[in-house]
Amino acid sequence: MANYEIMFIVNPNATDEEIDKINSQIEGVVTAGGGKANKIEKLGKKRLAYLVDKFRDGHYVLFTIEAGGAVVHEIERRLRVMDPVIKYLTVRMDEDMKRLDKIHAHRQKRAARRGRARAAGGGGSAPGPAEQLAEE
Amino acid sequence: MAIQKQYYRRKKVCKFCVERIDAINYKDVKLLSQFVPERAKIMPRRLSGVCTPHQRILSDAIKKARSIALLPFATD
Repeated sequence: MANYEIMFIVNPNATDEEIDKINSQIEGVVTAGGGKANKIEKLGKKRLAYLVDKFRDGHYVLFTIEAGGAVVHEIERRLRVMDPVIKYLTVRMDEDMKRLDKIHAHRQKRAARRGRARAAGGGGSAPGPAEQLAEE
Repeated sequence: MAIQKQYYRRKKVCKFCVERIDAINYKDVKLLSQFVPERAKIMPRRLSGVCTPHQRILSDAIKKARSIALLPFATD
């Protein structure tokens, strides 16, 4: 099981119902494959950076799912077959998140250490850099 | 030292290190577009001052954004 983000672009002439239909279909694939669709976001109609199938804009949809590789494979196959979908991209997120968590943990540890040193030395109650760092 | 430099060149710093931006996401077009000049090429490190690890993540993100039509491959 891994975290994936699947983003796809639907034909700009598609209606809201058509997009919802595609979304529910894909959600069905995810749950049938033993995964979980954590978030389904319709990012709205946006202008494309270049022409795709002679379209200038498209409806962006973003799925955040937790599933195995086979499910992703199946979703990609379906997206390819669906006519209104003009482009898709799947990105694996968990390795990136792991890296971020590590950085955050490291930063918090350092901030805590610095905060302790400050308390021992000055004993000031003003919010030092430690709190500011933790907020970031 | 025979020739002295006539102007002072400010040392460039990595934007991501200074502002502590860890996540460089392909969806963040506003951030990424700062590193793609007019011609839509990826800005080299020697111009932007981004450090090597961040440049690697950044260029990956730009390439992802290109493939989902958030950023152009080239402008004519």
